Amino acid sequence: MSQWRKIFFLSRKDMESYYAKPPLVTWGLLFPAVLLLALYLKDPGTYAAVTPGIIAMTLLFGNTSMAAIVVTFEKRSGTLVRLLLAPLSNRTIILGKAASAALYGLATALVLCLGLALCLGLAVNSLFFFAAGLFLGAAVFSLLGLLASLAVQEVFEAMTLLNFFRFPALFISGVFIPLPEFPAWLIPLATISPLTHVVELLRYGLTGACFFPTPWIPLSVLAVFLVLSLLAAEPLFRCRAYQ
Amino acid sequence: MDEKQGIIQVRGLSKSYGEILALSGVSFSVAAGEVFAYLGPNGAGKTTTISILCGLLSPDAGLVDVCGLKLANHPVEVKSRIGVVPEESNLYPELTCRRNLEYLGELYGLTRKARRQRAAELLDSFSLAEKASRPYKSLSRGMKRRLTIAAALIHSPQVLFLDEPTAGLDLQSARALRVLIREIHRTGTTVFLTTHNLSEAEELAHRVAILLKGRLVAIGTVPEIRRRVSQAEAMSVSFSGQPAVSALLAACPAVKKAGLENGHLRLEVSGTHEALTQLVSFAQSQGIRIMEIATITPSLEEAFLTLVSDPTKGAPA
Repeated sequence: MSQWRKIFFLSRKDMESYYAKPPLVTWGLLFPAVLLLALYLKDPGTYAAVTPGIIAMTLLFGNTSMAAIVVTFEKRSGTLVRLLLAPLSNRTIILGKAASAALYGLATALVLCLGLALCLGLAVNSLFFFAAGLFLGAAVFSLLGLLASLAVQEVFEAMTLLNFFRFPALFISGVFIPLPEFPAWLIPLATISPLTHVVELLRYGLTGACFFPTPWIPLSVLAVFLVLSLLAAEPLFRCRAYQ
Repeated sequence: MDEKQGIIQVRGLSKSYGEILALSGVSFSVAAGEVFAYLGPNGAGKTTTISILCGLLSPDAGLVDVCGLKLANHPVEVKSRIGVVPEESNLYPELTCRRNLEYLGELYGLTRKARRQRAAELLDSFSLAEKASRPYKSLSRGMKRRLTIAAALIHSPQVLFLDEPTAGLDLQSARALRVLIREIHRTGTTVFLTTHNLSEAEELAHRVAILLKGRLVAIGTVPEIRRRVSQAEAMSVSFSGQPAVSALLAACPAVKKAGLENGHLRLEVSGTHEALTQLVSFAQSQGIRIMEIATITPSLEEAFLTLVSDPTKGAPA
Protein backbone atom coordinates (compact mmCIF):
# COMPACT_ATOMS: atom_id res chain seq x y z
CA MET A 1 0.00 0.00 0.00
CA SER A 2 1.17 3.49 -0.75
CA GLN A 3 2.81 5.21 2.19
CA TRP A 4 0.71 8.26 1.26
CA ARG A 5 -2.45 6.34 2.13
CA LYS A 6 -0.89 5.42 5.46
CA ILE A 7 -0.02 9.08 6.07
CA PHE A 8 -3.68 9.85 5.40
CA PHE A 9 -4.83 7.15 7.86
CA LEU A 10 -2.41 8.40 10.54
CA SER A 11 -3.59 12.00 10.21
CA ARG A 12 -7.27 11.06 10.03
CA LYS A 13 -6.97 9.11 13.28
CA ASP A 14 -5.21 12.05 14.99
CA MET A 15 -7.84 14.49 13.74
CA GLU A 16 -10.52 12.18 15.10
CA SER A 17 -8.78 11.63 18.44
CA TYR A 18 -7.27 14.99 19.25
CA TYR A 19 -8.11 17.85 16.93
CA ALA A 20 -11.75 17.68 15.95
CA LYS A 21 -12.85 18.62 19.46
CA PRO A 22 -14.85 21.80 20.06
CA PRO A 23 -12.66 23.04 22.97
CA LEU A 24 -9.52 22.86 20.84
CA VAL A 25 -11.06 24.65 17.87
CA THR A 26 -12.47 27.46 20.01
CA TRP A 27 -9.15 27.70 21.94
CA GLY A 28 -7.29 28.13 18.66
CA LEU A 29 -9.79 30.63 17.30
CA LEU A 30 -10.90 32.74 20.22
CA PHE A 31 -7.58 34.34 21.16
CA PRO A 32 -6.65 35.64 17.68
CA ALA A 33 -10.26 36.62 16.91
CA VAL A 34 -10.62 38.66 20.11
CA LEU A 35 -7.19 40.26 19.60
CA LEU A 36 -8.02 41.28 16.03
CA LEU A 37 -11.45 42.59 17.03
CA ALA A 38 -9.89 44.70 19.79
CA LEU A 39 -7.34 46.16 17.38
CA TYR A 40 -10.05 46.83 14.80
CA LEU A 41 -12.19 48.66 17.32
CA LYS A 42 -9.18 50.74 18.40
CA ASP A 43 -7.98 51.59 14.90
CA PRO A 44 -8.93 49.85 11.60
CA GLY A 45 -5.54 50.89 10.18
CA THR A 46 -3.61 48.99 12.89
CA TYR A 47 -5.91 46.01 12.37
CA ALA A 48 -5.04 45.81 8.65
CA ALA A 49 -1.30 46.07 9.38
CA VAL A 50 -1.22 43.32 11.97
CA THR A 51 -3.73 40.85 10.44
CA PRO A 52 -1.06 38.83 8.52
CA GLY A 53 1.04 38.71 11.69
CA ILE A 54 -1.87 37.53 13.86
CA ILE A 55 -2.81 34.80 11.35
CA ALA A 56 0.85 33.69 11.25
CA MET A 57 0.98 33.77 15.07
CA THR A 58 -2.16 31.59 15.20
CA LEU A 59 -0.41 29.06 12.97
CA LEU A 60 2.80 29.24 15.00
CA PHE A 61 1.23 28.65 18.40
CA GLY A 62 -1.50 26.25 17.26
CA ASN A 63 0.67 23.98 15.15
CA THR A 64 3.79 23.83 17.31
CA SER A 65 1.69 23.22 20.46
CA MET A 66 -0.58 20.58 19.01
CA ALA A 67 2.19 18.60 17.29
CA ALA A 68 4.25 18.68 20.49
CA ILE A 69 1.32 17.75 22.76
CA VAL A 70 0.14 14.85 20.61
CA VAL A 71 3.57 13.26 20.13
CA THR A 72 4.59 13.72 23.79
CA PHE A 73 1.24 12.30 24.93
CA GLU A 74 1.59 9.28 22.66
CA LYS A 75 5.16 8.71 23.82
CA ARG A 76 3.99 8.67 27.44
CA SER A 77 0.88 6.56 26.90
CA GLY A 78 2.79 3.98 24.85
CA THR A 79 0.62 4.39 21.76
CA LEU A 80 3.57 5.75 19.76
CA VAL A 81 5.11 2.28 20.15
CA ARG A 82 2.08 0.93 18.21
CA LEU A 83 3.23 2.99 15.24
CA LEU A 84 6.85 1.91 15.64
CA LEU A 85 5.71 -1.73 15.58
CA ALA A 86 3.58 -1.25 12.47
CA PRO A 87 5.02 -1.57 8.96
CA LEU A 88 5.57 2.16 8.60
CA SER A 89 8.76 4.00 7.75
CA ASN A 90 9.92 6.71 10.14
CA ARG A 91 9.21 9.29 7.44
CA THR A 92 5.61 8.07 7.12
CA ILE A 93 5.05 8.46 10.85
CA ILE A 94 6.64 11.94 10.90
CA LEU A 95 4.60 13.11 7.91
CA GLY A 96 1.39 11.60 9.31
CA LYS A 97 1.83 13.36 12.66
CA ALA A 98 2.91 16.66 11.07
CA ALA A 99 0.08 16.54 8.52
CA SER A 100 -2.62 16.26 11.18
CA ALA A 101 -1.18 19.16 13.19
CA ALA A 102 -0.83 21.19 9.98
CA LEU A 103 -4.44 20.47 9.02
CA TYR A 104 -5.59 21.61 12.46
CA GLY A 105 -3.66 24.88 12.06
CA LEU A 106 -4.90 25.39 8.52
CA ALA A 107 -8.51 24.76 9.52
CA THR A 108 -8.24 27.22 12.42
CA ALA A 109 -6.59 29.87 10.23
CA LEU A 110 -9.14 29.41 7.46
CA VAL A 111 -12.08 29.76 9.85
CA LEU A 112 -10.45 32.89 11.28
CA CYS A 113 -9.96 34.35 7.78
CA LEU A 114 -13.50 33.48 6.79
CA GLY A 115 -14.81 35.23 9.91
CA LEU A 116 -12.66 38.28 9.18
CA ALA A 117 -13.84 38.35 5.56
CA LEU A 118 -17.50 38.14 6.55
CA CYS A 119 -17.40 40.49 9.54
CA LEU A 120 -14.61 42.96 8.79
CA GLY A 121 -14.33 42.74 5.00
CA LEU A 122 -10.93 41.06 4.82
CA ALA A 123 -9.96 40.78 1.13
CA VAL A 124 -7.34 38.59 -0.56
CA ASN A 125 -4.99 40.16 -3.12
CA SER A 126 -3.15 36.98 -4.25
CA LEU A 127 -4.80 33.71 -3.35
CA PHE A 128 -1.73 31.73 -4.44
CA PHE A 129 0.74 33.47 -2.12
CA PHE A 130 -1.79 33.65 0.71
CA ALA A 131 -2.48 29.91 0.44
CA ALA A 132 1.27 29.20 0.10
CA GLY A 133 1.92 31.20 3.29
CA LEU A 134 -0.74 29.29 5.20
CA PHE A 135 0.33 25.89 3.88
CA LEU A 136 4.09 26.31 4.28
CA GLY A 137 3.70 28.00 7.66
CA ALA A 138 1.48 25.19 8.94
CA ALA A 139 3.89 22.53 7.67
CA VAL A 140 7.09 24.15 9.02
CA PHE A 141 5.56 24.93 12.44
CA SER A 142 4.12 21.42 12.79
CA LEU A 143 7.53 19.92 12.12
CA LEU A 144 9.10 22.32 14.63
CA GLY A 145 6.57 21.17 17.25
CA LEU A 146 7.38 17.56 16.44
CA LEU A 147 11.13 18.21 16.74
CA ALA A 148 10.59 19.80 20.16
CA SER A 149 8.46 16.87 21.35
CA LEU A 150 11.18 14.39 20.32
CA ALA A 151 13.85 16.28 22.21
CA VAL A 152 12.03 16.03 25.58
CA GLN A 153 9.85 13.69 27.65
CA GLU A 154 7.10 15.88 29.10
CA VAL A 155 4.57 18.26 27.54
CA PHE A 156 5.67 21.15 29.77
CA GLU A 157 9.28 20.60 28.70
CA ALA A 158 8.23 20.74 25.05
CA MET A 159 6.29 23.98 25.69
CA THR A 160 9.24 25.54 27.53
CA LEU A 161 11.59 24.59 24.73
CA LEU A 162 9.20 25.96 22.09
CA ASN A 163 8.69 29.21 23.99
CA PHE A 164 12.43 29.90 23.73
CA PHE A 165 11.79 30.14 20.01
CA ARG A 166 8.18 31.39 19.84
CA PHE A 167 8.30 34.51 21.99
CA PRO A 168 11.56 35.92 20.58
CA ALA A 169 10.18 35.06 17.11
CA LEU A 170 7.08 37.23 17.80
CA PHE A 171 9.42 40.11 18.57
CA ILE A 172 11.77 39.78 15.59
CA SER A 173 9.41 38.62 12.85
CA GLY A 174 7.30 41.68 12.09
CA VAL A 175 4.14 40.33 13.70
CA PHE A 176 3.23 43.54 15.54
CA ILE A 177 5.79 45.99 14.11
CA PRO A 178 6.29 46.00 10.30
CA LEU A 179 9.87 45.12 9.23
CA PRO A 180 10.53 48.52 7.56
CA GLU A 181 10.21 50.10 11.02
CA PHE A 182 12.84 47.75 12.52
CA PRO A 183 16.32 49.04 13.41
CA ALA A 184 18.83 47.96 10.78
CA TRP A 185 20.71 45.63 13.14
CA LEU A 186 17.56 43.59 13.74
CA ILE A 187 16.82 42.91 10.06
CA PRO A 188 19.41 40.08 9.58
CA LEU A 189 17.98 38.39 12.67
CA ALA A 190 14.43 38.75 11.30
CA THR A 191 15.36 37.09 8.02
CA ILE A 192 16.46 33.87 9.72
CA SER A 193 13.10 33.44 11.45
CA PRO A 194 10.58 31.29 9.51
CA LEU A 195 7.78 33.33 11.11
CA THR A 196 9.02 36.46 9.27
CA HIS A 197 8.62 34.71 5.93
CA VAL A 198 5.14 33.42 6.77
CA VAL A 199 4.08 36.93 7.83
CA GLU A 200 5.49 38.48 4.63
CA LEU A 201 3.86 35.86 2.37
CA LEU A 202 0.50 36.38 4.06
CA ARG A 203 0.98 40.16 3.90
CA TYR A 204 1.61 39.94 0.18
CA GLY A 205 -1.35 37.59 -0.22
CA LEU A 206 -3.65 40.04 1.57
CA THR A 207 -2.31 43.48 0.62
CA GLY A 208 0.10 43.00 -2.28
CA ALA A 209 2.90 44.57 -0.19
CA CYS A 210 5.98 42.66 0.95
CA PHE A 211 9.19 43.63 2.72
CA PHE A 212 11.24 41.53 0.29
CA PRO A 213 11.67 42.54 -3.38
CA THR A 214 9.49 39.60 -4.48
CA PRO A 215 7.15 37.21 -2.61
CA TRP A 216 9.06 34.33 -4.18
CA ILE A 217 11.89 34.99 -1.67
CA PRO A 218 9.87 34.18 1.49
CA LEU A 219 8.20 31.32 -0.37
CA SER A 220 11.59 29.82 -1.32
CA VAL A 221 13.02 30.37 2.17
CA LEU A 222 10.01 28.59 3.72
CA ALA A 223 10.40 25.70 1.28
CA VAL A 224 14.05 25.40 2.40
CA PHE A 225 12.94 25.51 6.08
CA LEU A 226 10.43 22.76 5.33
CA VAL A 227 13.04 20.48 3.78
CA LEU A 228 15.55 21.21 6.56
CA SER A 229 12.95 20.49 9.27
CA LEU A 230 12.09 17.19 7.64
CA LEU A 231 15.76 16.27 7.28
CA ALA A 232 16.35 17.10 10.94
CA ALA A 233 13.22 15.25 12.10
CA GLU A 234 14.16 11.87 10.59
CA PRO A 235 17.44 11.24 12.45
CA LEU A 236 16.02 12.75 15.66
CA PHE A 237 12.97 10.50 15.41
CA ARG A 238 15.16 7.44 14.79
CA CYS A 239 17.30 8.36 17.78
CA ARG A 240 14.61 9.47 20.29
CA ALA A 241 11.30 7.79 19.47
CA TYR A 242 12.71 4.27 19.95
CA GLN A 243 14.11 4.98 23.43
CA MET B 1 12.30 -19.63 4.01
CA ASP B 2 13.78 -22.88 5.22
CA GLU B 3 11.25 -24.17 7.75
CA LYS B 4 13.87 -26.45 9.32
CA GLN B 5 16.05 -23.46 10.13
CA GLY B 6 13.23 -21.77 12.03
CA ILE B 7 10.88 -18.87 11.56
CA ILE B 8 12.99 -16.87 14.04
CA GLN B 9 16.75 -17.25 14.00
CA VAL B 10 18.97 -15.37 16.38
CA ARG B 11 22.75 -15.64 16.22
CA GLY B 12 25.23 -14.03 18.59
CA LEU B 13 22.92 -11.27 19.75
CA SER B 14 24.56 -8.73 22.04
CA LYS B 15 23.34 -5.44 23.44
CA SER B 16 24.71 -3.08 26.08
CA TYR B 17 23.26 0.04 27.68
CA GLY B 18 26.39 1.96 28.52
CA GLU B 19 28.28 -0.16 31.03
CA ILE B 20 25.38 -2.57 31.52
CA LEU B 21 25.50 -5.72 29.43
CA ALA B 22 21.88 -6.61 28.60
CA LEU B 23 22.51 -9.47 26.15
CA SER B 24 25.68 -11.40 25.45
CA GLY B 25 26.02 -13.77 22.48
CA VAL B 26 22.43 -15.03 22.60
CA SER B 27 21.62 -17.59 19.88
CA PHE B 28 18.45 -19.62 19.38
CA SER B 29 15.97 -20.66 16.76
CA VAL B 30 12.18 -20.93 16.90
CA ALA B 31 10.45 -23.41 14.58
CA ALA B 32 7.40 -22.36 12.58
CA GLY B 33 4.20 -23.22 14.41
CA GLU B 34 5.70 -23.74 17.86
CA VAL B 35 4.99 -21.98 21.13
CA PHE B 36 8.34 -20.82 22.47
CA ALA B 37 8.61 -19.48 26.01
CA TYR B 38 11.42 -17.11 26.88
CA LEU B 39 11.97 -17.07 30.62
CA GLY B 40 14.22 -15.23 33.00
CA PRO B 41 14.17 -13.17 36.18
CA ASN B 42 13.68 -9.39 36.06
CA GLY B 43 16.55 -7.70 34.27
CA ALA B 44 17.64 -10.89 32.49
CA GLY B 45 17.26 -9.30 29.05
CA LYS B 46 13.88 -10.68 27.94
CA THR B 47 12.37 -7.33 26.98
CA THR B 48 15.60 -6.29 25.26
CA THR B 49 15.46 -9.46 23.17
CA ILE B 50 11.81 -9.00 22.23
CA SER B 51 12.42 -5.31 21.41
CA ILE B 52 15.25 -6.30 19.06
CA LEU B 53 13.20 -9.06 17.41
CA CYS B 54 10.34 -6.59 16.79
CA GLY B 55 12.59 -3.93 15.30
CA LEU B 56 12.29 -1.47 18.19
CA LEU B 57 15.96 -1.73 19.17
CA SER B 58 19.14 -2.28 17.18
CA PRO B 59 21.58 -4.87 18.53
CA ASP B 60 25.26 -4.04 19.05
CA ALA B 61 26.16 -7.35 17.43
CA GLY B 62 24.44 -10.41 16.06
CA LEU B 63 22.02 -11.38 13.33
CA VAL B 64 18.25 -11.74 13.46
CA ASP B 65 16.16 -13.39 10.75
CA VAL B 66 12.38 -13.35 11.11
CA CYS B 67 10.09 -15.09 8.60
CA GLY B 68 13.08 -15.66 6.33
CA LEU B 69 14.01 -11.98 6.19
CA LYS B 70 17.03 -10.26 7.67
CA LEU B 71 15.57 -7.82 10.18
CA ALA B 72 18.41 -5.31 9.72
CA ASN B 73 17.75 -5.08 5.97
CA HIS B 74 13.95 -5.41 5.87
CA PRO B 75 12.50 -3.96 9.08
CA VAL B 76 9.22 -2.78 7.53
CA GLU B 77 8.59 -6.11 5.76
CA VAL B 78 9.31 -8.03 8.97
CA LYS B 79 6.91 -5.80 10.91
CA SER B 80 4.16 -6.59 8.41
CA ARG B 81 4.53 -10.31 9.22
CA ILE B 82 4.65 -10.17 13.01
CA GLY B 83 2.18 -9.14 15.69
CA VAL B 84 3.29 -7.78 19.06
CA VAL B 85 1.45 -7.65 22.36
CA PRO B 86 3.50 -5.43 24.69
CA GLU B 87 3.54 -5.92 28.46
CA GLU B 88 1.34 -2.86 28.93
CA SER B 89 -1.86 -2.77 26.85
CA ASN B 90 -1.51 0.32 24.69
CA LEU B 91 -4.39 0.88 22.35
CA TYR B 92 -5.97 4.28 21.76
CA PRO B 93 -8.10 5.06 24.83
CA GLU B 94 -10.62 7.33 23.15
CA LEU B 95 -11.28 5.10 20.13
CA THR B 96 -13.89 2.36 20.26
CA CYS B 97 -12.84 -1.29 20.23
CA ARG B 98 -13.90 -1.66 16.60
CA ARG B 99 -12.18 1.57 15.51
CA ASN B 100 -8.95 0.54 17.26
CA LEU B 101 -8.89 -2.71 15.29
CA GLU B 102 -9.88 -1.07 12.01
CA TYR B 103 -7.27 1.67 12.43
CA LEU B 104 -4.52 -0.88 12.93
CA GLY B 105 -5.89 -2.76 9.91
CA GLU B 106 -5.44 0.47 7.92
CA LEU B 107 -1.82 0.75 9.02
CA TYR B 108 -1.17 -2.88 8.05
CA GLY B 109 -2.56 -2.26 4.57
CA LEU B 110 -5.82 -4.22 4.78
CA THR B 111 -8.58 -3.19 2.37
CA ARG B 112 -11.68 -1.61 3.89
CA LYS B 113 -13.71 -4.79 3.41
CA ALA B 114 -10.94 -7.01 4.81
CA ARG B 115 -10.35 -4.89 7.91
CA ARG B 116 -14.07 -4.64 8.72
CA GLN B 117 -14.49 -8.37 8.31
CA ARG B 118 -11.35 -9.20 10.31
CA ALA B 119 -12.27 -6.76 13.10
CA ALA B 120 -15.72 -8.34 13.38
CA GLU B 121 -14.20 -11.85 13.44
CA LEU B 122 -11.71 -10.92 16.15
CA LEU B 123 -14.28 -9.10 18.30
CA ASP B 124 -16.44 -12.17 18.07
CA SER B 125 -13.73 -14.74 18.81
CA PHE B 126 -12.35 -12.68 21.70
CA SER B 127 -15.87 -12.29 23.17
CA LEU B 128 -15.81 -8.52 22.72
CA ALA B 129 -18.56 -8.16 20.12
CA GLU B 130 -20.90 -6.58 22.67
CA LYS B 131 -18.27 -3.99 23.53
CA ALA B 132 -17.45 -3.13 19.91
CA SER B 133 -18.82 0.41 20.15
CA ARG B 134 -17.42 1.14 23.62
CA PRO B 135 -14.22 3.19 23.94
CA TYR B 136 -11.14 1.17 24.84
CA LYS B 137 -10.64 3.21 28.03
CA SER B 138 -13.98 1.96 29.41
CA LEU B 139 -12.97 -1.73 29.29
CA SER B 140 -11.85 -3.83 32.25
CA ARG B 141 -8.17 -4.82 32.48
CA GLY B 142 -8.86 -8.34 31.18
CA MET B 143 -10.88 -7.02 28.25
CA LYS B 144 -8.17 -4.49 27.42
CA ARG B 145 -5.66 -7.33 27.34
CA ARG B 146 -7.90 -9.38 25.05
CA LEU B 147 -8.41 -6.45 22.70
CA THR B 148 -4.64 -5.78 22.65
CA ILE B 149 -4.06 -9.39 21.58
CA ALA B 150 -6.84 -9.11 18.99
CA ALA B 151 -5.19 -5.93 17.66
CA ALA B 152 -1.90 -7.79 17.21
CA LEU B 153 -3.73 -10.39 15.12
CA ILE B 154 -5.57 -7.96 12.82
CA HIS B 155 -3.24 -8.73 9.89
CA SER B 156 -3.02 -12.49 10.60
CA PRO B 157 0.71 -12.43 11.46
CA GLN B 158 2.97 -15.46 11.06
CA VAL B 159 4.59 -14.81 14.43
CA LEU B 160 2.93 -13.41 17.54
CA PHE B 161 5.13 -11.94 20.28
CA LEU B 162 3.45 -11.93 23.68
CA ASP B 163 5.24 -10.04 26.44
CA GLU B 164 3.89 -11.16 29.84
CA PRO B 165 0.37 -11.72 28.46
CA THR B 166 -1.32 -12.57 31.74
CA ALA B 167 0.56 -10.17 34.04
CA GLY B 168 -1.82 -8.36 36.37
CA LEU B 169 -4.89 -10.40 35.42
CA ASP B 170 -7.16 -12.25 37.84
CA LEU B 171 -7.07 -16.06 37.74
CA GLN B 172 -10.20 -16.41 35.64
CA SER B 173 -9.08 -13.89 33.01
CA ALA B 174 -5.57 -15.40 32.93
CA ARG B 175 -7.00 -18.88 32.36
CA ALA B 176 -9.31 -17.59 29.60
CA LEU B 177 -6.34 -15.88 27.98
CA ARG B 178 -4.30 -19.09 28.01
CA VAL B 179 -7.16 -20.84 26.23
CA LEU B 180 -7.08 -18.04 23.64
CA ILE B 181 -3.32 -18.40 23.18
CA ARG B 182 -3.77 -22.13 22.52
CA GLU B 183 -6.48 -21.31 19.96
CA ILE B 184 -4.20 -18.77 18.26
CA HIS B 185 -1.47 -21.40 18.06
CA ARG B 186 -3.95 -23.89 16.55
CA THR B 187 -4.42 -21.52 13.61
CA GLY B 188 -0.75 -22.07 12.75
CA THR B 189 0.66 -18.90 14.29
CA THR B 190 4.08 -19.20 15.89
CA VAL B 191 3.95 -17.82 19.42
CA PHE B 192 6.95 -16.26 21.17
CA LEU B 193 6.04 -15.81 24.80
CA THR B 194 7.81 -14.15 27.68
CA THR B 195 6.41 -14.79 31.12
CA HIS B 196 7.28 -14.85 34.80
CA ASN B 197 4.58 -17.46 35.31
CA LEU B 198 6.47 -20.76 34.96
CA SER B 199 3.39 -22.96 35.19
CA GLU B 200 1.98 -20.94 32.29
CA ALA B 201 5.13 -21.63 30.26
CA GLU B 202 4.96 -25.30 31.24
CA GLU B 203 1.32 -25.44 30.17
CA LEU B 204 1.66 -23.61 26.85
CA ALA B 205 5.17 -23.95 25.49
CA HIS B 206 6.68 -26.63 23.29
CA ARG B 207 10.15 -25.33 24.07
CA VAL B 208 11.57 -23.05 26.69
CA ALA B 209 14.66 -20.85 26.81
CA ILE B 210 16.02 -19.53 30.09
CA LEU B 211 17.95 -16.29 30.13
CA LEU B 212 20.12 -15.14 33.03
CA LYS B 213 22.04 -11.87 33.13
CA GLY B 214 21.89 -11.59 29.34
CA ARG B 215 23.09 -15.13 28.67
CA LEU B 216 21.05 -18.12 27.54
CA VAL B 217 21.61 -20.84 30.13
CA ALA B 218 19.15 -23.48 28.95
CA ILE B 219 17.01 -24.23 25.93
CA GLY B 220 14.88 -27.25 25.16
CA THR B 221 11.58 -28.90 25.93
CA VAL B 222 10.35 -28.70 29.52
CA PRO B 223 11.19 -32.41 30.23
CA GLU B 224 14.69 -31.90 28.74
CA ILE B 225 15.35 -28.93 31.01
CA ARG B 226 14.02 -30.75 34.05
CA ARG B 227 16.30 -33.70 33.32
CA ARG B 228 19.34 -31.49 32.87
CA VAL B 229 18.96 -29.78 36.19
CA SER B 230 18.06 -32.78 38.33
CA GLN B 231 21.35 -34.13 39.72
CA ALA B 232 19.89 -37.54 40.50
CA GLU B 233 16.62 -39.17 39.59
CA ALA B 234 14.19 -39.39 42.46
CA MET B 235 11.43 -41.78 43.45
CA SER B 236 8.75 -41.83 46.09
CA VAL B 237 7.73 -45.17 47.60
CA SER B 238 5.51 -46.42 50.41
CA PHE B 239 5.44 -49.96 51.80
CA SER B 240 2.78 -51.91 53.72
CA GLY B 241 5.23 -51.99 56.65
CA GLN B 242 8.02 -49.70 57.74
CA PRO B 243 11.38 -51.15 56.65
CA ALA B 244 14.69 -50.02 58.13
CA VAL B 245 16.29 -47.43 55.87
CA SER B 246 19.75 -48.94 56.45
CA ALA B 247 18.48 -52.35 55.29
CA LEU B 248 16.93 -50.78 52.20
CA LEU B 249 20.16 -48.98 51.30
CA ALA B 250 22.15 -52.17 51.79
CA ALA B 251 19.79 -54.27 49.65
CA CYS B 252 19.34 -51.71 46.86
CA PRO B 253 22.70 -50.38 45.54
CA ALA B 254 20.83 -48.22 42.96
CA VAL B 255 19.31 -46.23 45.84
CA LYS B 256 21.83 -43.58 46.86
CA LYS B 257 19.85 -41.76 49.53
CA ALA B 258 16.61 -42.37 51.40
CA GLY B 259 14.56 -40.20 53.71
CA LEU B 260 11.02 -39.92 55.00
CA GLU B 261 8.90 -37.21 53.42
CA ASN B 262 5.13 -36.83 54.03
CA GLY B 263 4.77 -40.48 55.06
CA HIS B 264 6.58 -41.70 51.93
CA LEU B 265 10.20 -42.65 51.46
CA ARG B 266 11.91 -40.25 49.09
CA LEU B 267 14.73 -42.05 47.31
CA GLU B 268 17.53 -40.60 45.22
CA VAL B 269 18.42 -43.26 42.70
CA SER B 270 20.87 -43.87 39.91
CA GLY B 271 18.63 -45.45 37.28
CA THR B 272 14.94 -45.88 38.02
CA HIS B 273 14.69 -49.26 36.27
CA GLU B 274 17.46 -50.87 38.38
CA ALA B 275 16.10 -49.29 41.54
CA LEU B 276 12.60 -50.56 40.81
CA THR B 277 13.82 -54.16 40.34
CA GLN B 278 15.88 -53.98 43.55
CA LEU B 279 12.98 -52.45 45.52
CA VAL B 280 10.60 -55.26 44.44
CA SER B 281 13.18 -57.89 45.53
CA PHE B 282 13.75 -56.03 48.80
CA ALA B 283 9.99 -55.92 49.56
CA GLN B 284 9.67 -59.66 48.87
CA SER B 285 12.68 -60.44 51.12
CA GLN B 286 11.16 -58.33 53.94
CA GLY B 287 7.65 -59.84 53.49
CA ILE B 288 6.07 -56.47 52.84
CA ARG B 289 4.24 -55.02 49.83
CA ILE B 290 4.87 -51.90 47.80
CA MET B 291 1.71 -49.81 48.21
CA GLU B 292 2.65 -46.87 46.01
CA ILE B 293 5.64 -45.97 43.87
CA ALA B 294 6.29 -42.98 41.61
CA THR B 295 9.17 -41.26 39.92
CA ILE B 296 9.69 -37.63 40.91
CA THR B 297 10.65 -35.08 38.33
CA PRO B 298 11.32 -31.46 39.29
CA SER B 299 8.74 -28.91 38.13
CA LEU B 300 9.84 -26.24 35.68
CA GLU B 301 9.79 -23.85 38.62
CA GLU B 302 12.24 -26.04 40.57
CA ALA B 303 14.39 -26.40 37.47
CA PHE B 304 14.30 -22.63 36.94
CA LEU B 305 15.30 -21.92 40.54
CA THR B 306 18.14 -24.44 40.28
CA LEU B 307 19.38 -22.73 37.13
CA VAL B 308 19.17 -19.30 38.73
CA SER B 309 21.40 -20.52 41.57
CA ASP B 310 23.74 -22.53 39.29
CA PRO B 311 23.51 -21.67 35.57
CA THR B 312 26.06 -24.37 34.56
CA LYS B 313 23.40 -27.03 35.15
CA GLY B 314 21.49 -25.84 32.07
CA ALA B 315 24.15 -27.07 29.65
CA PRO B 316 23.21 -30.26 27.76
CA ALA B 317 24.79 -33.43 29.16
